[in-house]
Amino acid sequence: MIDVVLALAGLALATAAPAAVTPPAAADPPLKGAAEGPGKSLSAIRVAEWVASSGDNHALPYIIIDKPAAAAFLFSADGQPIAQVPVLIGIAEGDEATPGIGSKSLAEIGPAEKTTPAGRFLARFGYAAGKKRVLWVDYATSVALHPIPPHTEKEKRRQRMLSPEIDDNRITFGCINVPLAFFNKNLRPLFEKKGGYVYILPDSKPLEEVFPRLRVQPITP
Amino acid sequence: MSPSLTKIVPVAVVLAASLGLGGCATKGYVRDQIAVVNQRIDGLDTRLQATDATAKQALSEAQAASGVGQQNGQRLDQLNGRVDGIEQRMVENQNKRARN
Repeated sequence: MIDVVLALAGLALATAAPAAVTPPAAADPPLKGAAEGPGKSLSAIRVAEWVASSGDNHALPYIIIDKPAAAAFLFSADGQPIAQVPVLIGIAEGDEATPGIGSKSLAEIGPAEKTTPAGRFLARFGYAAGKKRVLWVDYATSVALHPIPPHTEKEKRRQRMLSPEIDDNRITFGCINVPLAFFNKNLRPLFEKKGGYVYILPDSKPLEEVFPRLRVQPITP
Repeated sequence: MSPSLTKIVPVAVVLAASLGLGGCATKGYVRDQIAVVNQRIDGLDTRLQATDATAKQALSEAQAASGVGQQNGQRLDQLNGRVDGIEQRMVENQNKRARN
């Protein structure tokens, strides 16, 4: 009897072992799949599957920002994919936010500080300067998700967003810019009332370091 | 003793006795009177107790009402504080600049 129990325990450990594998986070090749939707990287698929299967979104809508792919994937509260759009993100690569950056003015933010921090954020709609309605992703570090702001024509943000290139989507001070139609028609109706979760995939950090619960999520082949 | 004195003494005794008995109340009369007074005192005492109970109840209700009023006041203060905080945050939010 003890042998049988030990054998079963060994089998369970053997099947759970792949969960501890740490795949590379950055520069995943875009994958295509019927269930996952076109254009998602392996990291985005892993996070999407983990959130949907574990209920980590606590019955709230959620959006996955894939920084290396400069793309956003919106999901309803029950995990149904709603939309996929290109995004503009912080001009500097990096997964951390400089301490105290939330109290700095835009002019005071140095080039290396213009990062979009990676992580899991409980986001809510609120007002920003100029009575702008934004989705505050990380209020403390002033990271919000909103459409392309006015008076940024010099930076050609619209053209950058429309271009198929990914590298030119790094232009903001750390905020996430999304298409206006997506913001008003898809995101806002879902997030306006109770907010939702924003999962920002890392540039360089291992995925499991940013989302530790992924360690117990088996990787589906 | 002279014959006149022998006649006077019984008369005097009878007179004195009648006078004495006429001035004193009987025990039964006194008991009756005391019973009436006692009854009235008992009645007053009962009414006093009832009045005392009413007054105590009124006092406890007033104290309870005062306690509830105090709690309501504290809760109002707390709510005022929260509303102030929310208003302050709203103002801050409107002034806080996103990193565009």
